[in-house]
Amino acid sequence: MNPFEPRIITFLCNWCSYVAADAAGVSRLSQKTNTRAVRVFCSGMVDPNYVIKAFAQGADGVLVAGCHPGDCHYIAGNIKALRRSFLLRKLLEELGVDEKRFRLEWIAASEPHKYAKVVNEMSEQIRALGPFSPGCVRD
Amino acid sequence: MEAKKVAVYAATGCRACENAILDISFQVNSLDRFARFEFWPYLLGSRLEDLEKPGDIDVTFFTGAISTECDEEAARRLREKSKILVAFGACAAFGGLPGLVNLQQAKKAPEGCEDGTPELPGLRRRVATLHQIVPVDYFVPGCSPPQNYTWTIMQSLVCQSGAAARMSFAASRLPRRIARSVLSGVLPPSGSVFAGEKAVCASCGRMKQEKLFASLNRIHRIEPDPLRCLLEQGLLCQGLATREGCGGLCTGAGLPCRGCFGKAQDIYDAGAKMVSAVSSTFDTTEAAEMQKIAEAFVDLAGTFYRYTAPAQCALLQTPESKRPADEDFEAAGGACNG
Repeated sequence: MNPFEPRIITFLCNWCSYVAADAAGVSRLSQKTNTRAVRVFCSGMVDPNYVIKAFAQGADGVLVAGCHPGDCHYIAGNIKALRRSFLLRKLLEELGVDEKRFRLEWIAASEPHKYAKVVNEMSEQIRALGPFSPGCVRD
Repeated sequence: MEAKKVAVYAATGCRACENAILDISFQVNSLDRFARFEFWPYLLGSRLEDLEKPGDIDVTFFTGAISTECDEEAARRLREKSKILVAFGACAAFGGLPGLVNLQQAKKAPEGCEDGTPELPGLRRRVATLHQIVPVDYFVPGCSPPQNYTWTIMQSLVCQSGAAARMSFAASRLPRRIARSVLSGVLPPSGSVFAGEKAVCASCGRMKQEKLFASLNRIHRIEPDPLRCLLEQGLLCQGLATREGCGGLCTGAGLPCRGCFGKAQDIYDAGAKMVSAVSSTFDTTEAAEMQKIAEAFVDLAGTFYRYTAPAQCALLQTPESKRPADEDFEAAGGACNG
């Protein structure tokens, strides 16, 4: 049996988090390789549908990362992402997705260390939880 | 015109769909002219064994979700015998209210009385929709399907070559693609849903202004403004994620939409759509306040997938084809991981 490697879909905002992820690579920070990055223009455009679809199609975790509140390139896109996250997390939990599997983080362009830390942390947490299988609901 | 042979069967459900077939006002008298009911346990006291008699059935209206082995058996037998099989009502089409049980882990089936009588049919581990068991030709959503659609589908499927006036009545209520085939006397494409394509908002007459709400309201607590959008007034109206066709019956009467027509055509997941729509109306930019508003919502899964959990909830679909690493999952004991 192959050891379980989590698959984490990361939605990275073009202006902050994607730059941070890039910088993390350039600065040769040690990072887990479980992420699959999707560059989006703003964390505010990550529709809850994207998150649900990622889980339904076999992702073990989803990370949405955007600029810090107040720093959004589009003024308030990250606030929109934040607004959705509460109900989304609640819905996911009711459908059997552990809260650790979905994360919303603010990572500025100048924080590659934070990016590496979040990715490593999440990868370890999800490794401990095991693979996610849709269609399986808790009691 | 020779009368068509029609069967009606109810699996797990409340029988409102069967009543809906009779609840077509005075038209019920003319049903007799073009339909001959061959099999209808509710009205004729037919038994499943009656299906062993020779002869086909032209149209079968199957209502109710598949939750017992007996339901499954009936579905297979009726499919075998019928030329056209219609999933009639939200339960047969999407799983309906009985399908909510899929949100829970399967429990052991009840065993009847201690001495084992009466013998109850075994429960399935999961409630299924008709289409998940056998191929279905047409879907009629609704809980129960509204009068005009019931009459419409009767005319388009049962009295296929009936009077022109009848046909145009039917066509005027159907999406264009289906209406065209009904008018030209051929059957609509297999798999057609006899309802609209857009969301309920398209046929709801209420005005949408600013979308903001400071807290969740419930219908018994407020007297909603008769002209304004219900979602804006803090009521959990699911119209924007739900297929139209009902003509906004509930919203017109001041009741928030409950989603009995299933999700609208272009929506991936109704729950996600509702989360997005409802969250965007939170009137705050503070995380703590958002949290507070969100806490007032209970049972999101049960609300957003009230009628559609087995068929349309993306996270409840069986993963077989989607997940290549299934053997890993089984090796881990097949346990449910949160």
